[in-house]
This record gives sequence, structure tokens and C-alpha cells, in this order.
Amino acid sequence: MKLIFAGILAGLMATTAAKADEMVFTSWGGTTQEAQTKSWAEPFTASSGIKVLQDGPTDYGKLKAMVDAKNVTWDVVDVEMDFAIKAAKDGLLEPIDFAAVPKADLDPRFSNENAVGSFYYSFVLAWNKGSVTGEPASWADMFDTKKFPGKRTFYKWSAPGVIEIALLADGVPADKLYPLDLDRAFKKLDTIKSDIVWWGGGAESQQLIASGEAAFGQLWNGRVFALEKDGADVGVSWNQNLTAADVLVVPKGAKNKDGAMKFLAAATSPTGQAKFAEASGYAPINTKAKAEMPADVVKGLPDAHVDGQINLDMNYWAEHRDEIATRWYAWQAK
Amino acid sequence: MLLDYDRLGWLKVALLAFTALVAAFLLLPVVFIVLLSFGSSRWLAFPPPGWTLKWYQELFSDPSWIEAALTSARIATMTAILAVTIGLLASFALVRGQFRGREILRGLLLTPMVLPVVVFAIAVYAFFLRLGLGGTTVGFVIAHTVLALPFAIIPIATALEGFDKSIEDAAIVCGASPLQAKLRITLPSIRIGIFSAAIFSFLASWDEVVVAIFMASPTLQTLPVKIWGSLRSDLTPVIAAASSLLVALTLALMIVTALLRRKLQT
Amino acid sequence: MSVEAQQGIATPRIPAGLGGLLPALILIGLFFVVPVLALLLRSVTDPVPGLQNYAALLGDGTYARVFFNTFLVAFVVTIVTVLVAFPVAWMLAIMPPALASILFGIIILSMWTNLLTRTYAWMVLLQRTGVINRGLMAAGIIDQPLPLINNLTGVAIGMVYIMLPFMILPLVGTLRAIDPMTLRAAALCGASPLAAFRRILLPLSLPGIAAGGLMVFVMSLGYFVTPALLGGTSNMMLAEMIAQMIQSLLNWGLGSAAAFILLVVTMALYALQLRLVGSKRAPGGA
Repeated sequence: MKLIFAGILAGLMATTAAKADEMVFTSWGGTTQEAQTKSWAEPFTASSGIKVLQDGPTDYGKLKAMVDAKNVTWDVVDVEMDFAIKAAKDGLLEPIDFAAVPKADLDPRFSNENAVGSFYYSFVLAWNKGSVTGEPASWADMFDTKKFPGKRTFYKWSAPGVIEIALLADGVPADKLYPLDLDRAFKKLDTIKSDIVWWGGGAESQQLIASGEAAFGQLWNGRVFALEKDGADVGVSWNQNLTAADVLVVPKGAKNKDGAMKFLAAATSPTGQAKFAEASGYAPINTKAKAEMPADVVKGLPDAHVDGQINLDMNYWAEHRDEIATRWYAWQAK
Repeated sequence: MLLDYDRLGWLKVALLAFTALVAAFLLLPVVFIVLLSFGSSRWLAFPPPGWTLKWYQELFSDPSWIEAALTSARIATMTAILAVTIGLLASFALVRGQFRGREILRGLLLTPMVLPVVVFAIAVYAFFLRLGLGGTTVGFVIAHTVLALPFAIIPIATALEGFDKSIEDAAIVCGASPLQAKLRITLPSIRIGIFSAAIFSFLASWDEVVVAIFMASPTLQTLPVKIWGSLRSDLTPVIAAASSLLVALTLALMIVTALLRRKLQT
Repeated sequence: MSVEAQQGIATPRIPAGLGGLLPALILIGLFFVVPVLALLLRSVTDPVPGLQNYAALLGDGTYARVFFNTFLVAFVVTIVTVLVAFPVAWMLAIMPPALASILFGIIILSMWTNLLTRTYAWMVLLQRTGVINRGLMAAGIIDQPLPLINNLTGVAIGMVYIMLPFMILPLVGTLRAIDPMTLRAAALCGASPLAAFRRILLPLSLPGIAAGGLMVFVMSLGYFVTPALLGGTSNMMLAEMIAQMIQSLLNWGLGSAAAFILLVVTMALYALQLRLVGSKRAPGGA
């Protein structure tokens, strides 16, 4: 018991001290967070004197728990955009102080009053050239098991992307995607269900394609970029590429809100965005960043493929998250 | 006859062959991971196109891996000590005590094993935030000890049930105090149970990722959390290298223990 | 014989017994029961007071399917683990110490490697283009890759692998406690090896099987990392679904309700097991 009380005391002392010259940044771990540390946190500390502590991985449950308990230990968090919209509605986020964060050059698709873009990416069609004869050219080809036999891989979770792909493959025009016709999407997905291998994380999708375990699939463009860079024999189609984004948010009650806003300004600056994009293969959300990037990297960005590009509707997804998830997992478990 | 190794006959051959198969099954992924850690392919392709030491270089150039491993070892050791001590006391009570509701209490002590870990993780994290224990080592160890306790109680209680209490009583009759009898007679007899309990509860912490994600703070990152982040985003062979090092360390420890034991015996 | 010694044998240790339980009860009570109850209460208060979360769960075929699937997987894994573990534990209990310590070493080595890493290793081993399938095809044993992953087979292989040590170690303890003389006596009296196994060895090792089996079954119920990576989506376990509800959808009410149902059903099974198997030492001999 003594130990417990000593612990409670020690804990109290540890958590009540929030320093103005320190803030906590949380992201998904691995190379993404490493690139964020190098491109954003380190230069930011050098120029502002505010130390950035790295925490993670991001966990939405943990975020909600700390806001509920009014004991918030994170100052800036990297989250998916549809989650950010829902979290803002649930009152979990601070509004962004656009007096401190310059807004003019931020891509309006990926920022709103409670979030600024972190990076964005496209879902593209990628394939292992050793396992596929011919060149799949559209999402419809991914549903054509006669023309293109073999396993195909899709994102496992209930998230923007797969439903839209199924509808596009079924002939729904891009501008008529929303509101999503779930019945039609699942019916289309039923036709290839036994040929689907699901990927749950970016690394898994790369492993599946690189090993030929799946002949082709829906991948994040940054992942295809990394595969190509490492010499894997992959093909890619940007036709109807679907954009989505990660955003940076400040949890409600963050201890160092001022520091957080300053950090956001640095992270979304042209230089910060250019450096991160170069290191990660994801796309910058600051429209001025491209000017600071090497030409061959710019060529690989989703911006080079706006023709036929479709923006996944994050507001629609935030609105219907629960409903779609229920249907999604019910369909998967069948 | 069935428990005499030298008198089993053909049955011994069959059982040993089966045991060897199972041993191979247990070793297969471990050997595979060690091989991958030297492979040059980033994509865990096997057989790898070439051999390299670069994943080990990457591992050693990043001190956070070693820090994480040390943090894990520290928390797991404290967890194992606490869980085995508390579990030992509880097991004696559960096996020897004569009171009503014993089975219910035993069930209660095992519930942390039943509940999906994420539910416990959220619950205990929210609770700790209010107590000010969030992100502290003490909180971390308490949460892991809760998870580890059933893994300590089950093997110890089982061993204790199989132990003939009249031997302990005989020692008392011969003049030992009840405590002496327990320490000198009973504990050595149930050592496999205690050993299993120690290993299981150490591992319940060492290999635990869900609660660890919630208990993590910038200064408190355990190895599974780091591996979890890396596997999701990179699947890098650095993880194979880290695992291989741990395997080597375990092997070294086992060999040293074996040598020491032999020395003590001669 | 001294008076104290006599007391040491004769007095039932009621106070001592309960005292030993105290630390465990405080730990579990304060840091498990209280926080978990506080969360589970949300299942009837979140988002509005009422039983709508339970109605939603029980009224939907998906949850029933996932529930059934969870118990099926746990059951299959437990049975296979017992069958594989028993011969190994048997050998381990009686083989020469040098050999036994090597085998112990292998078991511990297998547990020591990070769980996620091990599971990924199995993934690469079991894939259609994986090491095992390519090896078998190269050897001419099969011409089509065997479906070893994204199905129940993959889940069983991956989970049995993880659970084996949890079954073997308690079983070794029980087997070592059995007096070999009992079996020698049986042989002398003319019992065949099969009869000796069925009538003596197996019944005497039941406590170990029950302890290990309980641990494996219950652990399997709450598991999801391995099934999520090695199984197909139709092998989804309840724990994965609850994690989705809590961590991704932030629907704590629904997640808590699902966890509560799992808890109640498991506890009911535990009570049933106590009824059926009985506990020799339980007061009143249930």
C-alpha cells in the first residue's frame, strides 16, 4: 500500500508540471514519425527554443480518454482526416488559431477550423509485374477476375476508399459517388470476395505486392514509390486516384496550446512540408512547397495526376462513420 | 512403466520423434527470423537475394531501440517479482484455505485474463489519469501486474494442489516452524510451478502491447510498442535483427546457467 | 511432540488463508474491478441511459456470428494444444535432465521473441508464395499451393504455436508429481500400457490439463493480433471487433456491452466447469 501511495504522489508531481518550453507531438511511429521529427520538430526546436517530445503511437481511444479525464498529455496529434472531423464534432479538439498558423497557402481540401493538413496521399492501383500479364488500367479491371486472375489486396478497415472503388468499378460516375450506395458497393464486392487478401497497414500492402502474394491491389502512392525506389518490379495506374489525408490536431485542453500552434505553423510551412514530402514520399499540403522540392520527386506526387483524380469526401465519411462501419464489418464477417 | 524413461520401449521412440517435431515447430519461426535479419531484402523475401549486416548497423545507430528494450526489461522484471509474490500468497490461500466462496474468489482473480485487453487498457488508463498515475512507471507496473497475476496464480496453485501437504506437516512435526517448512520443503517442491509463474508473468509484461500503448509517454516507450509502430509502417528487417539479438542473449544466458550448474554439481 | 507442532497440523488456517489473499484482492479490486466497472457502466449510459447497446448487439446477426466464431477458435486451439502438448510434457517430465534442459530452452526461446514478430514470421512462412508452400512444391509433394493462411488453419497454427508453452509447463509440473511407482505397480498387476495410460496416467494428469486448458481457452477468447494477421475476415474475433468499437469508432458504450457479454458468458462457462468437474477441495464438495 505504501508503494501505491508513494506512486500516486510521484505521479501527481510528474503530471502537474507543464512547461511552456516543452510540448508533446504524437504520431504513428516508424519512419513516418522519424521523418516528421527530422523535418518539423528539430528545425522548430532550433528556431523557437521549444523542446518537442515524441510520443505515440496515435490511439484514438487514448485521445478521447485523456480529454474526458481533463488530463491531456498530448499537444499535437497526427490523425486521419475523417476522424478529425468526427472528433471535432464530439468536442475533442481545440480550434486552430489561424492568427498563429498562416492559412493562405494551405490546400483547402485538407484543412478546416479544427485541423490543418499533415500530408496527403492517393490510393492508386499497383501491381506486381511478375504476376500480372497485361496492364490493369482502371478499378474496373480489379473486379475482372477473367481478364486479370489472381489475388487482389484492399484496405481492411472501414475507411474511405474501398467502397468508392467498388462503386467506380460498377460504373458510378465520379461526381455521383456521394451519398454512397452501400448496397450496390457490397454487391459488387461480393463478386470478388474470395479473391481478396486484406492489408491492415502500409507495410503489409508492400509485402503482399512485392512477394507476389497478391498480384495487384489498392495501395497508398507513397508505398508504391518506396517499392519502386527499392527496386521492386511494380506497375502503377493513377487512373481515378483517390485522395485522402492525415491532419494535425490539438486535443481539447492541451497543456501547451501556444507551443502547439507555433509547431503547426512550422509543420505546415512550405519548407517543413517540402522536407517531409521528400523524406516520406507523401504529398505536401502547402501549395508553395513544390517550389522547394527536386523535380523528380514532384513528378511522383498525386499533384502530377490531377487528371481523373477524385477527392474522397471526408465530411460524408465523418457523418456516416458508425453506420458504414457496422455494415462493413458485417459484410466482412459473413 | 509409463513414467520410466528407460523402460518405455518403442513408445519412447515414437514419443521422442513427436517431441522432436514439436521442438522443430517451435524453433521454425525463430530460426527464420534470425535468417531474415541477415537477408538483404527489405521485403522479407526468402531466400534473400544476398546477405548483409546493415540491419544490425541500423539497429545500433538508433539508441531508442536499446532504450526501449531496457525499459521493457525493467518493467517486466518488476511485474514478475510483484506478480509471483502476490500470486504465491494468494495460491496458498486458495489451495489451503477453508472458507466459503473460494472458487468465486479464484474466478475473480482470473478475470483479467478473460476481458479483452483493450477494455482493461482504456479503463485503467482513464482511472490512472484521474489518480495522476498516467505515464508513470508505477502505473505501468501496476497495470501489467494485474494482467500477469492470473499467469502467476494458475501454475503455482496447480503445483501446490499436486504437492502432498503431509510432507510439510512432517517437517513441522520434526521441529521446523511452519514458515521454515514452507520455505525449505514446500517451495522447492513446487519450483516448476514458481518457475512457470515467473516466466509467464515476465512475458505477460515483456510482450504486452495494448496496455503499453496507453501507458506510454515520451520517456516510457517499451519494445513491443516500438516494434508495433515499426511493423505497421515499415516491416523493416531491423525488427528481425532486434529479435535475433534477444535470441542470442537468451541463448547466452541459458548456456551460462547450464555451465554454472555443472560447476556447482562437480 | 510439542504442543505448537500439534497445533500447526490440526488448526485449519482460516485467518492465515484469507490474509494471503489480501494483496491480490486489493490489487484486483482497486486496479481492475473499480476501473473496469466504471467503464462497463457506460454500456448502459452511453450515449443515453438504457439497454440500447445490448439490444443492438443481440439483435444483430453479425455479433452472434463473431461470438460463435470466437468460441469456436478458442475451442479448436485448446483441443489441438492439449493434444500436441501432452506427449511433449510427458517426455519432458521423465527424460534425462540434460536433454530436458535443452527442450526447456527451446520452449523459452520460442516465447521470448516478440509476439508480433513471430506472427509476421508465420505469415511469410505460410503464404501461398511462402517458404512452406514453395518448399513442398519444389519437392513435388503438391502442385497447387495449400491454403494455409487467411483461414482457420492459419489461425490454428499461429495460435497453437503461441499457446503451447502455456500448456506444456503446467503439465510437466503435474506429471513430475506423479509417483512412477503407481504405474510400475499397475504394470506388475498385468495392466496393459493402454490401460495404465487410460486408468492412471491420464486421470492423474487431469489437474495439469485443466489448468493449462483453462489458461489457453481463456487467453484465446480475448486474443486478436494473431487471428487478425493469419485469419481471414470471416475469422474475426470478438476482441478485434471490440477494439474497433473502442479505438476507432469511439463507441465505448457498444464496446463495453460486447465485453460485458463476453465476460458473463465466460464466467458462466467457468461455473459450469466447476459444477461438472467438481472441486475435490471445495467446501461441501460441490
